[in-house]
Amino acid sequence: MPPQAPYGDAESLFRAVYDDLMRAAYALLGNDADTEDAAQNSFHKLMVAWTRVGGLPTAGEQRAYLVRIVINESLQILRYPYRRWERLGVDAGEWGAIQESPDESVQAREDLRLAWKAISELPAARREVVILRAAGYEYEEIAVRLGISISTVRSHINHARQQLSRAGARGRERRKNE
Amino acid sequence: MSNWVPTDGTGENFIDWLYARGKQRSDRIPEFDAEKTLRRARAVRDAGAVNFWNVLSPTERRAFESAARRQAFPAGTALMREGERADDVIVIIDGWTKVCLDEGGRERVIAERGPGDLVGERGTMPGNVRSASVIALDTVQALVMRTADYAAFVREHPGVPDLVEKQTYDRHTGRPGTR
Repeated sequence: MPPQAPYGDAESLFRAVYDDLMRAAYALLGNDADTEDAAQNSFHKLMVAWTRVGGLPTAGEQRAYLVRIVINESLQILRYPYRRWERLGVDAGEWGAIQESPDESVQAREDLRLAWKAISELPAARREVVILRAAGYEYEEIAVRLGISISTVRSHINHARQQLSRAGARGRERRKNE
Repeated sequence: MSNWVPTDGTGENFIDWLYARGKQRSDRIPEFDAEKTLRRARAVRDAGAVNFWNVLSPTERRAFESAARRQAFPAGTALMREGERADDVIVIIDGWTKVCLDEGGRERVIAERGPGDLVGERGTMPGNVRSASVIALDTVQALVMRTADYAAFVREHPGVPDLVEKQTYDRHTGRPGTR
């Protein structure tokens, strides 16, 4: 995306990054209904916050702000009373495969739950990078979307790997002791 | 099947595994409809503020009541209808409503509003049209105020518009309504 003047209204900004936002939300939520809700809530929040977002000096900063809104809204949906960690980030197609094998399914789901929980506990900036990575973006693409440098992206990913690895070790330890 | 499970659960390669899956999943994205999202979000915004009444001061409430009229809406009737002119704002005193959109003949409930909530806040913008319907789920007692009177009320009580904006914002840190 080339540098450009800030967007003049919430709707043009939202439309410009719509596909990216849906990808990030879908990566987190794994189903259509929640993804649509996250998008709807995000646009609502963007309209409410527009006096602030509209005043940001560049389109890049505005996009980064919106990416943050979408990630936060998606995480809110996961936190909402339904205890969605249970089926976190597993989409309809994957459910079919998982359910064929009940033992592995429990294990896989538990692994995924722990992993997303660990991701949600990363510092905000790192979490945003990891979630965009989970949406299938290259480092360069993430850098553009968050308005940061590629080396910052790389460094966040590397640190996140270590942190998730430690979280995984703790999880396995707990399972062994149960 | 075995390739479904992330290596070592939350191990170092987990991010790579997520990335691969995310790339695959991105094929699904064109199926989402931006227009639908924008329309729903606007309707949620126009559905007004949660807990409006309860955060007004006693003086503000009295002022609101004296400028509004009381009205009862039997279950199933509309407090306002999508597409109609927005001539007033409504504070629900008792009873519950659903806020819904007509999406190609199918009803989509985007929020619920109950005691203390303000609906139709966009009624304050002259010439606006309702972006959603608000339907009484049981008998609803409400205070109905003309748009012009509400604008005057807001002018005379400078704390109110901020408060509406804030309430609207807070509500949507959760998810709107039920499916």
